[in-house]
Amino acid sequence: MAGLDVGYLAVYLLSLASVAVFGYAILWHARRTSTSIGPGRLLGLGEDEARRLASGDPVFLMHLSIAVGIGLSIANAILDPVMPYVPLLKDAFLVLSVPLIVGLVAAFVWRIQVYFRSKGVEREFKSTASFTSASTFLQLILMLAVALTASELALFWFPSLVIASGLVGVVRNSLVAVYYSRPSVNLVGNFDRPLSAVRTPFNLADVMSGKTDASAISIGAGKISDFDTSQRLTFDSCVEIGACEAACPATAAGRPLSPRVLVRKVSLLAREGGGSADPFTTVGEDELWSCTSCGACMSSCPVSVKHLDVIYDLRRGLVAKGKLDKEKSAMLENLAQNQNPYGFKNATRGDWARGLGVDTLATNPKAEYLYWVGCLSSFDQRAQRIARALSKILKQAGVSFAILGAEEFCVGDPARRLGEEGRYQELAYQNIEKLNSYGVKKIIATCPHCFNALKNEYPQFGGRYEVVHHTQLISDLIKAGRIRVPAEKIQKISVTLHDACYASRYNNVFDEPREILGASVSDVREMGRRKEKTFCCGAGGSNYWYKVPQQRSIAGIRTEEAQKTGAKAIATECPFCLSMFDDTTKVMNTGMDVRDVAEIVAECL
Amino acid sequence: MRIAVCVKHAVDETELKIDSGGKPLLSGATSRMSTFDKNAVEEGLRLKAAHQGEVVIFTVGPSDSKKTMKEALAMGADKGVLVTADTTSIDTMRTASLLAAAIKKAGPFDVVLCSEGSSDTYSGQVPPMLGEMLGAAFTGYARKLEVNGQTARVERSLEDSLEVVEAPLPVVASVVSEINEPRYPTLIQIMQAGKKPLEELNGDQLQPAGAYRQASVVSMSAQQSARKHVMIEGSPDEAAAKLVEALIREGVLSK
Amino acid sequence: MSGAVWSYSENESVSNEVASAAADVAKGASAEPVVLEIGAVRAGVRAPGAKLLLKGPATSDVPPEVAAEAIAKASKQLQPAAILIGATRYGREIASRLAVKLTVGCLSEVSKLSADGNALAGERNAFAGKVVAKVSCALPAIATVKVGYYAAVESAGTAVTESDVGQVNPLVKVVSREKKAAGAVDLRSAKVIVSAGRGVKKKEDLPMLEELAREMHGALGCSRPLSSDLGWLPEEHHIGLTGVTVKPDLYLALGISGQLQHTAGMKDSKVVAAVNTDKDAPIFQASDYGIVGDLYQIVPAIRKALASRR
Repeated sequence: MAGLDVGYLAVYLLSLASVAVFGYAILWHARRTSTSIGPGRLLGLGEDEARRLASGDPVFLMHLSIAVGIGLSIANAILDPVMPYVPLLKDAFLVLSVPLIVGLVAAFVWRIQVYFRSKGVEREFKSTASFTSASTFLQLILMLAVALTASELALFWFPSLVIASGLVGVVRNSLVAVYYSRPSVNLVGNFDRPLSAVRTPFNLADVMSGKTDASAISIGAGKISDFDTSQRLTFDSCVEIGACEAACPATAAGRPLSPRVLVRKVSLLAREGGGSADPFTTVGEDELWSCTSCGACMSSCPVSVKHLDVIYDLRRGLVAKGKLDKEKSAMLENLAQNQNPYGFKNATRGDWARGLGVDTLATNPKAEYLYWVGCLSSFDQRAQRIARALSKILKQAGVSFAILGAEEFCVGDPARRLGEEGRYQELAYQNIEKLNSYGVKKIIATCPHCFNALKNEYPQFGGRYEVVHHTQLISDLIKAGRIRVPAEKIQKISVTLHDACYASRYNNVFDEPREILGASVSDVREMGRRKEKTFCCGAGGSNYWYKVPQQRSIAGIRTEEAQKTGAKAIATECPFCLSMFDDTTKVMNTGMDVRDVAEIVAECL
Repeated sequence: MRIAVCVKHAVDETELKIDSGGKPLLSGATSRMSTFDKNAVEEGLRLKAAHQGEVVIFTVGPSDSKKTMKEALAMGADKGVLVTADTTSIDTMRTASLLAAAIKKAGPFDVVLCSEGSSDTYSGQVPPMLGEMLGAAFTGYARKLEVNGQTARVERSLEDSLEVVEAPLPVVASVVSEINEPRYPTLIQIMQAGKKPLEELNGDQLQPAGAYRQASVVSMSAQQSARKHVMIEGSPDEAAAKLVEALIREGVLSK
Repeated sequence: MSGAVWSYSENESVSNEVASAAADVAKGASAEPVVLEIGAVRAGVRAPGAKLLLKGPATSDVPPEVAAEAIAKASKQLQPAAILIGATRYGREIASRLAVKLTVGCLSEVSKLSADGNALAGERNAFAGKVVAKVSCALPAIATVKVGYYAAVESAGTAVTESDVGQVNPLVKVVSREKKAAGAVDLRSAKVIVSAGRGVKKKEDLPMLEELAREMHGALGCSRPLSSDLGWLPEEHHIGLTGVTVKPDLYLALGISGQLQHTAGMKDSKVVAAVNTDKDAPIFQASDYGIVGDLYQIVPAIRKALASRR
């Protein structure tokens, strides 16, 4: 470079300063929230993003373009002085800039669409003017950041405009430092936190033993200061990307909930009202009950906002205040009294197995597997067929298994999702005590909610088992040749699989049911939203037990999707999904059959 | 305003087990707060919220009844008085007289609330007996209850009519489940309620049994509870006629 | 045993039922059944046996507090062996008050009453009908008699004797009384429920089921799809986990498949009958009587069968 250009130097130093400010802001937020952002975390995040890149989701690609575009332009600005000395470096930047510019332009256009949709949702919810303007402001900032980054990348191609490019970068870096350092920290801190990780406000065993004083426990959020730093970080990290709103089944059904609006309202209240502000002045009860805990919001959020951390604590707040309607309190009372959420006599839990030659652990404590039946398959006459089908398959394959029968209690999931943590933990501890006393090592579950709790939640309370979903085990049995579907028994029907949220999105079980269907029916069709991107049936998050105002049913939306595949049957892998679609397929006169994958296989044997 | 609420720790009929001889296994059966009593507690809490004061829970039963009382305290009641007695061998009048004695001892109260009947035996006798014994006005089956000054105004739900009555305080009232939706106390709230005052009185010392001869249960036997699963065949007309006949035989079709 | 067996109910037809119970008890106690009237003799009370008119209270309306005081005064004078009261909402109050006023034991909700030696004996349901208890109380005793168990025997009245019990000043003043709205859906107290499911093809077919419900003196309910999804019936008809929980004597499920969402709300019904075209419908597992068939054929047939019995 010939001679020192003062203007260039000034802009260069300014860009370095702006990058430093961004870096400092990240460190500051990380320290304040005790979030680890070391190289290990960053590497992990990189791997995770690469995995998601491979999935080829266009919305993810757009977001990746923004992040990588910002990174590339920052690198370009810093490296600019050395560019002439490193061969091909500038060319590499130029080549990389092209797809990123395309991605950023696409992102900008997509943002316009997001803007109109989000304003439509706010009109529907009758959001306050101050909320709407705060939301619009953040969306415009995001669009500005996208536009600036795209321009900066475009300016790569015009070496004479290096000062302009530098100035664009300084403005963008300043915006990023102010608005995106917090979400960046949240992303690094939370990207690998599993959906199944539910915050545990107390441990019942400690309360029972006196280690924790019961009277000192305050459960649920009654005021903003009840949220801890990590919750504050997560709801303050929302930058109005709107991916959650697009994925949310409650929003799609016209329920009064949008995950974006909810976390933003809480965040704005925290900023304006301080610690003593009451979240229920801005968040409605129906809004909270609308959530099915399907996890679509969290898994679609590019900056890893944990919406359910906020929703569960607010629900716990409602439960603690006694704000439950008849259906919800009846469910909890049934759990307290009958150990199942329906109020059936729990002693009759194993009656479905009568005459099938199915052992209980009491009679056969040496069984290799415990089959955890779950309440719905124990008491619902329709869902009992899943249990019978699985029993038939296991017997045919010579798998040694037994059930708990009357000794099985509800796993506790409905209580936990509703916000009654104490009742959940009581059931968990009672179940674990029994399982451990029988020395249970391996468990099969047909209900993904039981599966998830046993696999991911019980270890925290001392219950460690090898837990499989029945689709995993059946798929293994087919692969191992322990069960065989003869060619002439393959069912000549077209089937589409509905992935259950708690199996697929929560636990990455989605290939196995497809393998099973591949082996037992002639024609498997796929819906657009599938695997970890599945769309809820509407029963999760305890929604099976109550009603929420809505314009249409979540299960109805999904049934239409299934119909569009042209399939004649919906295959399910969860008794709750089965129950929901059993209703909607009849109500909508679809003529479609609904069956669990286990039933389909059992019919082929 | 001082409000007394009477609750019963009753055997949970949904979990009742039957022995091989067809007898219900009452000893060792799980018990809980009698279903409708929750409405009485809730109504007491509602009155307290409107008029200030305190809500005291009264129970006659074995010492296991504390479980039920803690639930009522967790709902928001202030304290409890348990009168210990073997409820399997005493009749409604003895129960009422023990409650009356305890209420008088902890009194005076402006309002005494009960539910319309207990979920185990559903006699509906204790509330009016209490009214008599306390010399207070009694009104049963309240589905709405308001207190203005020294007068209670009650909407009572009868079989086929609604009656509005007024009574001077103190008043004893039994409530029906339509009156409110009782709140659910969380497990932690129930544990926390363990710290609220709960007095225990021995029934026989509190009030010796009266001179009359008590009503008693001679024997109990379980009813067939499993569904019959009878499939009726035939043409629509034949099947319908057989069904109607069966239902009349069951005594479930009124004339 | 001496003394009479008195019977009373504020409701005329229940009064006739309780008189039948009193006649049974009187037979065993070699006593005389006596039907009580308070204030005035009612035309609708047509049970056999002697009548005792308690004079003093105003004629038209006798609140339970007044009835109890009147009967107690007469009882102290005339010393009956037993007093049977219809177990209505008024009746339970009357009997309970009487027991305290007279310091005698009181049975409740009894049927199959008899005088057994020196005691009044009978049967009653307990634990939501899951248990039948034999109960007894030494005479003199009081009992509330289960409504709907005894047949009302009607015959020409016999002699009326009178007893003056004087004025009674109740603490509780009745301000107003109105009939509950006819046709109002009160599924929770209905004895018979006819319930419709997705087997009903269109909204216009519901009146047929409503008619059937009326003919069975019952109420119309439905499963979730009909109310929540299709909106054919208002939500208060919806029986199930997310609707009302009911315990009728008879639950007739028509075109209901029988998912737990629904059956959890009706599982405590005394007798369940179901009609469904699908022989494998889960509802049959939850039923006492099942007909595999089209409700569009079976319902008219049931109505015909009911009509032929009238």
